[in-house]
Amino acid sequence: MGEDNTILGGIHISPNAVATIAYFATLESYGVVGLAPKNLTDGIVSTITREPSRGITVRYKGDDIDIDINVIVEYGTRINSVAQSVANTVRFHVEKALGLHVNSVNVHVAGLRVSDTD
Amino acid sequence: MAVDTARVEKLRRMPIDGQSLKRLVDAGLTWLRTNQQIVNSLNVFPVPDGDTGTNMVLTLQAAWNEVKDSGVRNLSEMAAMVSKGALMGARGNSGVITSQILRGFSRGVHDKATLDAATLVKAFGEARDTAYKGVVRPVEGTILTVIKEVAIATEAALGSTQDAIEILEIAVKAADEAVKKTPELLPVLKQAGVVDSGGKGLFFILEGMLRHVYGESLETPTISVQSLSAMNLQDAMDEVEEGQDFEVVVDFVPNGELNLESFYGRLEEMGTSIQVGEGEGMYRMHIHVPTEKRYEPIDYIMGIGTVTKVAIENLLAQMDDIQKSAELQFTTVEPGQIAVVVVSPGTGLSRIFASLGVAAIVPGGQTMNPSTQDILSSFENLPTDKVIILPNNKNIILAANQAKEVTVKQVAVVPTRTVPQGLAAMLSLSPDGDLNAVAEKMAKAMANVKTGEVTVATRTVEIDGVSVRDGQVIALLDGKLVVSAETVEQGVMGLLEKADAAEHELVTLFHGEGMSHAEANRIKDVISGKYSNLEIEVQEGGQPHYQFLISIE
Repeated sequence: MGEDNTILGGIHISPNAVATIAYFATLESYGVVGLAPKNLTDGIVSTITREPSRGITVRYKGDDIDIDINVIVEYGTRINSVAQSVANTVRFHVEKALGLHVNSVNVHVAGLRVSDTD
Repeated sequence: MAVDTARVEKLRRMPIDGQSLKRLVDAGLTWLRTNQQIVNSLNVFPVPDGDTGTNMVLTLQAAWNEVKDSGVRNLSEMAAMVSKGALMGARGNSGVITSQILRGFSRGVHDKATLDAATLVKAFGEARDTAYKGVVRPVEGTILTVIKEVAIATEAALGSTQDAIEILEIAVKAADEAVKKTPELLPVLKQAGVVDSGGKGLFFILEGMLRHVYGESLETPTISVQSLSAMNLQDAMDEVEEGQDFEVVVDFVPNGELNLESFYGRLEEMGTSIQVGEGEGMYRMHIHVPTEKRYEPIDYIMGIGTVTKVAIENLLAQMDDIQKSAELQFTTVEPGQIAVVVVSPGTGLSRIFASLGVAAIVPGGQTMNPSTQDILSSFENLPTDKVIILPNNKNIILAANQAKEVTVKQVAVVPTRTVPQGLAAMLSLSPDGDLNAVAEKMAKAMANVKTGEVTVATRTVEIDGVSVRDGQVIALLDGKLVVSAETVEQGVMGLLEKADAAEHELVTLFHGEGMSHAEANRIKDVISGKYSNLEIEVQEGGQPHYQFLISIE
């Protein structure tokens, strides 16, 4: 997927483009306060980033798109609901923009941000 | 119902403690639940899945479950329990935001045993701050904007009042105004012609609390009168119940102001499917009543106004008609031949399809998508194992493809998106050919026809640069909105112009349920007057909602 052949030639949609759409959808999701790129060597969650493709991995497998998102969630929200909203919103926006089927959206809650405790 | 001023004065003098807050939460929940469907129907952002109202109700329900058996009198303890319950039960995006608002509220009343005006204002402020902390990129024109406006308005009012009930009144007013402004802030709302659903939900919660203070009912939804054009009497036909045999429609001009509550109340004693519309100084009332009560609504309305028009129809007879027309002659297929199954939205269209040689029909269309199972069972018992499906609607193509996946028969889906495409495809059917070759030929044939659809807009929107007012006639060309007009005739003419009708040969008009054959023929004459080279046919389509389906070849 990500490729489409028309009589004029091919259309290729790079995983980066998909990641950018997912990035904006994620940041507008309520409860998400940031994305977390994984440091591959030790798996430590490092700084919050503004670069669209970091924290998001997009893979094509045959006809399917799989998206992995590492998010930081506001402490005190119901994490399960926030994660589900992210998955829903990302799937909706990617499918709407590209007309491609999204097989899975995996949301990894990489950390929490604590602004208040009560 | 009027405001119970004695009750308000009594409440004003009483301290607002934990138990009062508990009753307010109950009132907010009840009122939100009463109006849940309204909130659901507004849901277009962030994902248009129509569950905002449900999610907010479930979230608030969880908060209520946490406190409903509690006898705690301390305000801050009660608020903390509400906050905890909402957090645990938060469902969906709007539910999470609601829980954050309640969490902020709870923080705002920290250490207070009772609620005064200043504390309430502080709590609204904290609710806003906490809600905004939960998102990197707050989208304005949502529930966030509504809580923000509430906080700002109540902060401003604190100088002039020290009364908590007045603060709540100001909060409800600010929420109402903020909700009305949401389409200006969020383009997707404006496009769909709605206000923000979550914001509206928050408004209902606050309004429910205020209605509780006023002693107003929380169980009956806000009574509303729709505009005449928005009345959908066709849909009312689907709701015929046993014993409600007569449909009565009365047009009338009331003597003075019409008291809606007592009007509805009286009608509810007589029958069901009540609809009331208003426009140009007159009202239209629609109701289903039992045979013996068929004159009652008319007598009643004559007592409160001047009746201008009455229509009584026997629904049982109408139902019989519908059943009769359902008996169609289908082509019998031999084993090995290709059978065609089509989805048809109207009885007239079904008859035309039957005459073109389809083997089975699945009723369905724009507002009534058949399931995969419906499609499957239409052809499973046919004596052949070669089947072609014409979905005739873009929303049904998927179900047709799924039917293809689950059956053992050889199935080809020709992805017809409209009825005219389906009819064009039928014309190139050869039942004894090779399945895939025939399907390909049919797919080619369907591309040679343009499809026009003429209907009435159900809300005010702007799409593809065409702006439409609620109740206007709109025309779509191959699924794209191209024209808005005041009359069906103008809609049809505008559509034909956009379709370059002069360059085509044959135009077929399939008129729908609400359109008489005579009126369709009159429009046909108008078309021939303008396009002398065109051949024009008029057929009864019988489809709901669409005055005309038009095939342009």
